[in-house]
Amino acid sequence: MSLIHIQNLSKHFKILNRREGLGGAFRDLFSGNYRTVEAVSDVSFDIDAGEIVGYIGPNGAGKSTTIKMMTGILKPSGGIIEVNGRPPYDNRIRQAQIMGVVFGQRSQLWWDLPVIESFKILKEIYKVDQKTFDRHMNMFNDLVGLSALYSQQVRTLSLGQRMLCDITASFLHNPQVVFLDEPTIGLDISVKAKIRSVIKELNSERNTTIILTTHDLGDVEALCHRIIIIDKGKILYDGDIKKVNALFGAYRTLKLQLDNFNETTIQILNDKLCERFGTSNGITVAETEEFWTDVTIDQARTPLSDVLNFVMSNFPVDDVRIVEISMENVVRKVYDGALG
Amino acid sequence: MRSYLPIARGTFMVGLVYRFGFLFTILGNIVYLSVAYYLWRSIYRYSDVIRGLTFNETFLYVGLGSAVFILLKTYADWYIHYEIREGLIANYLIKPIDFQLYNLSANFGSLLMNLLAITLPTAIMPGLVFKVTISPGAGLFLFPISLLLAFLISFSIDYFIGLMGFYSESVWGLSTTKEIIVTVFSGALIPLQFFPEAIQKVLYWLPFQAIYHTPLMMLTRPQQGLDIFLPMMAVQLAWAVILFVAARLFYNQAIKVLRIAGG
Amino acid sequence: MRSFAEYLRLYVIIETQYIKARMQYRADFIISSIGMFFSSLATLGVFWVILGTVPSLAGWSLMEMIFIYAFYMIAISPMQILFDHAWQIRFHIQQGTFLKYYFRPLNMMFYYMSEMFDLKGLTQFFVGLALLIYASIQLNLDWTFARVLLLVITVFSAALVQISIVVAASCAAFWVLDSYPVLGLAWKLREFSPYPMSIFDGAFRFAFTYVIPIGFVAFYPSQLFLRPEEVSPLIYFSPLIGVGLFAITYWIWTLGVNSYTGTGS
Repeated sequence: MSLIHIQNLSKHFKILNRREGLGGAFRDLFSGNYRTVEAVSDVSFDIDAGEIVGYIGPNGAGKSTTIKMMTGILKPSGGIIEVNGRPPYDNRIRQAQIMGVVFGQRSQLWWDLPVIESFKILKEIYKVDQKTFDRHMNMFNDLVGLSALYSQQVRTLSLGQRMLCDITASFLHNPQVVFLDEPTIGLDISVKAKIRSVIKELNSERNTTIILTTHDLGDVEALCHRIIIIDKGKILYDGDIKKVNALFGAYRTLKLQLDNFNETTIQILNDKLCERFGTSNGITVAETEEFWTDVTIDQARTPLSDVLNFVMSNFPVDDVRIVEISMENVVRKVYDGALG
Repeated sequence: MRSYLPIARGTFMVGLVYRFGFLFTILGNIVYLSVAYYLWRSIYRYSDVIRGLTFNETFLYVGLGSAVFILLKTYADWYIHYEIREGLIANYLIKPIDFQLYNLSANFGSLLMNLLAITLPTAIMPGLVFKVTISPGAGLFLFPISLLLAFLISFSIDYFIGLMGFYSESVWGLSTTKEIIVTVFSGALIPLQFFPEAIQKVLYWLPFQAIYHTPLMMLTRPQQGLDIFLPMMAVQLAWAVILFVAARLFYNQAIKVLRIAGG
Repeated sequence: MRSFAEYLRLYVIIETQYIKARMQYRADFIISSIGMFFSSLATLGVFWVILGTVPSLAGWSLMEMIFIYAFYMIAISPMQILFDHAWQIRFHIQQGTFLKYYFRPLNMMFYYMSEMFDLKGLTQFFVGLALLIYASIQLNLDWTFARVLLLVITVFSAALVQISIVVAASCAAFWVLDSYPVLGLAWKLREFSPYPMSIFDGAFRFAFTYVIPIGFVAFYPSQLFLRPEEVSPLIYFSPLIGVGLFAITYWIWTLGVNSYTGTGS
């Protein structure tokens, strides 16, 4: 039996339409005008114990709504959801015992207290016995050097240190599933790497299921075997990360700052590229930020270096950057059927 | 001056969103008024005039006091303290605006909104429900100006306390003490005539009575002559100018502390 | 499920740590205690000033009124000390930080309220206690063991009434963006608890006895000690009233917590 079982899950909300301007605000005073939003519709998947699943999608996709239903905060509008064999919304306190949650943005530890005191309080809250507590604290110390932070107040920790504390704290009571929401947000490369290895270690050590929501592709690549992509409340992809990885790897975006940029530049660039590489070249041209032109290239069809050479030789390029594809673009491509 | 109008308009419009809150504040004022009515009626059971005021006058004072309370209680100090705590002060300092005028405009916008949404509905209560009347007189014309001056005084004090937040994190005690002093000694709760003579003499010299007592006396006894009111307003004007300028000077000092300590 | 004893133990552990942490900010503790002290004195002062102008208020002497006021100060202290976090509900909801309270295997109200323990409220408690002793001496009250016990019970019930009213009002934050005025109203109401109910006419006396029973916060309990022959039998049910009211408040809290879904999708 899978640890998390979700079948035909759906959730909708009623939202007030706020009218604009002074007159609209006055009218809002007297009559509310609501619309229904389908945050999640007909979502199904199963997750087994020990899996690390990346749950990704753009903002507003329905990610947090699904997570809230998995953690028992929200009741579904329809469908079945079971965690560890039970609907999570049935008995919140009992469910909380087998779960861990980490928010990237806000700590769940006690802000003014020394780190070790937070852990001691959690020990009491989750009824962890002394032996297990000591064993886990030793493991955390081996992994991240936690004991060096014991006497520091949580509010004085750096972001990276705080994240490590939050993550290890979420494993203290040996939960069956841990939900990590943006665990590496705002951190520098080396700290990110550290956190990823800690998560991996904890997962393999305790066989804890991990559900990771993130906008950081690096997280996903480093940690997840499986990836679920959600957009507009529907599952777009659920499967092996290797397939999606190939997709990530295949696409690059060439960001150009062109001299004499005007409203015809995009068209001219596009035409010239089609001339040189043919019409199904897998290249799209768009202007994103002011003065920057994005040339997105499907390397499976046209090599990056060829495009770069061509553009540099034929256009007045002031500056150039090469970036990997963004999450929004990945999802857009998946939506367009790129993964089939 | 033109660039500050949108700020006032902004806070004014924000007020529109909080329709539920207005209802409850008015309801709260009605309850407060009713309870005050019973209380003062019991107090006046034994004599018609206490400390020179009749029941009508006292009740009118208390009733109108609760109506204008929302206008004169600016939250300038709380907002500045909040912004300091959340590290948002930097946002204002990098803009080409005068910090004091910015806060003044923002609070003024709220004042206008509260005036319409709370003060006016509450102010008609004593007359409508309790059948208390206001006699006509010069005081009624002077009242709006007096109220404006009172607002400036209250704002400057609150703004000053707000700036103290640049120096210390533990400002709750400071803000609360200020509120207590202002509320008690300004005549916000009861007419100052009820205080012992000795204390009244001291209070006369302080700016606090210029916030509530002066404008409210104009409404409760408007028939008193200009010779009574004009000196009172002169005192108000003096305090308004002194405190506004003092706060301005204090800002120049306080900002230095911020630049050293960081946003 | 945890037992009451387990929750009590957990509470002691958490608050001990919290107090230790806050005591490190000595200046803040001292300044806010002083602020609280002045606050208590000032409101007492206004009360005293008003009463000083009349020989009696609805038949109650100045010293009797001081006793009632002292009882009031003691009765509202538990709310101040233990449930102060109620004022922050609206901010947590606005900023989305309220979610974290759902994820622990603890009763949510317990977990939420345990995060703040307002030390300066103790100042108010002690000022009230001192005042009560002073008034008792002035009134020549006789404090037998039974009466002290009665005092403890009535304070406990009165505190529950006050807590219930304010916490229920704070729950408005779960549904409405601008919930502050509701809390403000509940807070304003408590200012009228130390006045004799006899000053009110029928409708208000009914409301303050049966609907939003602020009468039970100070006046009715004080009657037991000052003029026991005048009490209505209702006062003997005050513990039940306190507990019942708290049950209602808890129910409102549960409704609020269940209906709050957080922002974003």
